[in-house]
Amino acid sequence: MVVLERIGVYFQTVFHLASDPINIAILFGSVMLGIMFGAMPGLTSTLGVALLTALTYGMDTATAMVCLLAIYVGGTYGGSYASILINIPGTAASAATALDGYPLACKGEGGRAIGLTTTSSAIGTIISMLFLVSISPLISFFALQFTSFEFFLLAFFGILISGTLTSPDLVIKGWIAGFLGLFLACVGRDMLQFYPRFTFGISELDSGVEVVPVLIGAFGIPQIIQVLKERFQIGETQKFQRILPEFGTIIRNIPRIVRSALIGVGIGSVPGIGEDIAAWVSYGAAKNTAKHPERFGKGEIKAVLATEVANNACVGGAMIPLLNLGIPGSPPAAMLLGALMLHGVTPGPMITFEHPTFITEVAAILLLASCTMWVVGMLMAKQVVKVLRIPTQIFMPIIGVLCIIGSYALGLNIFNLYLMLPVGIISYFLIEMGYPIAPLVIGVILGPMADENLRRALMVSQGSFLPIFTRPVALILLLTILWTVFSQVPYFKKRKNQLVDKIRRRKPVKIKMDPEEG
Amino acid sequence: MKKILIFGLIVLMALATGVYAAKGFPKRDITNVCVWSAGGGTDTCNRIISAEMSKFLGKNINVINKTGGVGGSVGMSFAYKRPADGYTLCGLSESCVTAGVQGGWNNRMDVWDFFIVGGSPDVISVTPNTPYKNLKDLIEAAKKSPKSIKAAASAAGSIHHLNLLAVEDGSGAKFNFIPYTGSAPSQNAAMAGEVSVVVTSLAEQQQLLRGGKLRPLAMLIPDSFKVEGLGTIPSSFDDYPGLSKYLPISQAIGFAVRADAPDDVKAVLTDAFKKAIATDKLKTWAKENYYLLSGKTGKEAKAEFNSLESNFAWTLWDLKAAKVDPAKLGIPKP
Repeated sequence: MVVLERIGVYFQTVFHLASDPINIAILFGSVMLGIMFGAMPGLTSTLGVALLTALTYGMDTATAMVCLLAIYVGGTYGGSYASILINIPGTAASAATALDGYPLACKGEGGRAIGLTTTSSAIGTIISMLFLVSISPLISFFALQFTSFEFFLLAFFGILISGTLTSPDLVIKGWIAGFLGLFLACVGRDMLQFYPRFTFGISELDSGVEVVPVLIGAFGIPQIIQVLKERFQIGETQKFQRILPEFGTIIRNIPRIVRSALIGVGIGSVPGIGEDIAAWVSYGAAKNTAKHPERFGKGEIKAVLATEVANNACVGGAMIPLLNLGIPGSPPAAMLLGALMLHGVTPGPMITFEHPTFITEVAAILLLASCTMWVVGMLMAKQVVKVLRIPTQIFMPIIGVLCIIGSYALGLNIFNLYLMLPVGIISYFLIEMGYPIAPLVIGVILGPMADENLRRALMVSQGSFLPIFTRPVALILLLTILWTVFSQVPYFKKRKNQLVDKIRRRKPVKIKMDPEEG
Repeated sequence: MKKILIFGLIVLMALATGVYAAKGFPKRDITNVCVWSAGGGTDTCNRIISAEMSKFLGKNINVINKTGGVGGSVGMSFAYKRPADGYTLCGLSESCVTAGVQGGWNNRMDVWDFFIVGGSPDVISVTPNTPYKNLKDLIEAAKKSPKSIKAAASAAGSIHHLNLLAVEDGSGAKFNFIPYTGSAPSQNAAMAGEVSVVVTSLAEQQQLLRGGKLRPLAMLIPDSFKVEGLGTIPSSFDDYPGLSKYLPISQAIGFAVRADAPDDVKAVLTDAFKKAIATDKLKTWAKENYYLLSGKTGKEAKAEFNSLESNFAWTLWDLKAAKVDPAKLGIPKP
């Protein structure tokens, strides 16, 4: 009965919201604003939600939630535009999308990539929404299994996996880049004892290295130098572009989509981490299980699917601990928490008693937001690709200016510009030497989490590493990390391949139609 | 072509916001730099008051979070470095007065003018599956094996940490203090069982208490507190009268503007603040969220922060939890 009642409330809310033209207008406006925030390097969905929080104060709670969730969903999706078209991720969450999205754009399939991204983002959000309404108390129980050790291992795994996946030649180079990022994250006062580390007495460095200028510097500047140096035009857009949803591709990839969505929901529901790790883990899972892992990084449509489903599935995932425990699952969700409290809704275990229909309403809004996003995305994709027709000599300087504005806009801090430029130039030389740059940025993002939680974990255990082996979640994470490292050591790699060959030889299965063909 | 136009417009907009004059404050949106993390007590309170004040100012007050450092020193330094034009506020709480003696802030707190919204009393709670049913159980257990029970609170020098220290001092128990970056993460750790004890404000904890995710032991104020749907939480003073020497250390949440900002700007802010705090919205919110409204501004608020500063700084120094001698900073003894 309860379930039926819930479904009733759910559709009632959907229709109620959809029947109000003002809500629809807000929905479209917010999604578009979110996409713009996501697509502009430096402006993130976190910032979008934060800026709009105060604006929604005058609205009633439902309308405010429509506005904020739509921005969140749109922003998470919009990051992929910049990733695919100019290889500068609009948000950290879409850094993994650039890996295969940009090569696709270079091949002239930018429109197709964006089209698929749109559909997969919408699917990701909707699947996560289903989890939110159905089994969210169960998931929040698992989210509570995460203590400091698990947070440390998860952050460390995120850095490691992005290093493993992005290296063009030697995996160790990816890890080196990741550790460079970790080192950058150590700059500033440490969060537990407030001891200044590597600050050289510069007070601006006290608060540590900001993520946004590093993100923009590391991705933006090398790309601008590269493109201007080689005078090449990104992709060709003259080719007939089919920006249809490509339902065929979607249906062929259903198992992959479900897996990526599960990864997204799972990671989104763990407090404090969000879209960026989810995208990388999902990319890794897709590559490891693919029939042709060598195609990854060269414009594999499945990779784009996997990352975009996962980072958007994080949205619903992050709502789970937010609504059930009052703990934000990701940075934009933390902003949403503030907004909710502003409207007198305190999320937490009592929410089902105080606002019985609230979770269902949020789910209904997520559905509307993802549908709107899909419509807007489909309409925009074809137009957005035309950006590439702008001559490089004009386009790249504009991107340069946007990079500078983006670094400055967050916190209006001029120091960020002094930070962005050297990071960008160093990144350019690193890329020239064949080091991937994404792990460095991920290192800066996850570094504080790894550092702080490892030291706190040791404080709690009084210097003992034993809990890593006795806590089930920690052990699983540790084994995954070890497997990631050892599967790259030549000796083990050889053994693994031999084993795989043996198994293959024993079961000679002939597949007539390759189901993986996207 | 359209894209170029849009890009051009964005650039123009960015430039336009940079040009402003001091007259007719506020001409553009105001930024409130909250020094504690999003979703915490100070953050929520600042979001509420900022949004309400925006209605009277006609411009938005955007709340951003700059966490880290000691006593919110990173956020305070950041806000203080911005021009004294009233366009940057600093969302802070009483805990910020400890930044100086902890070595993160080279000024006295009187470089700010304060607008105090109010505060919520602190409560000491435990993970439900621990054997401690009341404060006495906990304190006796902690006395038996000092430093064995893990207690969470936000960063060292925060009000919750000070309350925890005061409980230790007034009762003679010793806990193993584990610092977290805010109240929300410390409560999360207590729910997850990483620590057994947590000290945060009632406002931050009430949902978890009523939901049975945490068990309240005692209020850290002289009076008991009735919580709807939970019953009355006794005062810690009942069992340990010695606490009255150290407690209560009450919250003073609000925001500040640089004291050297123009007087007319401060007058506009004060006016909007007074109007905002008198709204029904704020009153209802305070009641629903277990807050006591204050509304102090100007000299009154400064006096309160001065006394908090000397109280906090010297308490910390006496507890040997301070790095810098408060006398060196010119902070008078309470």
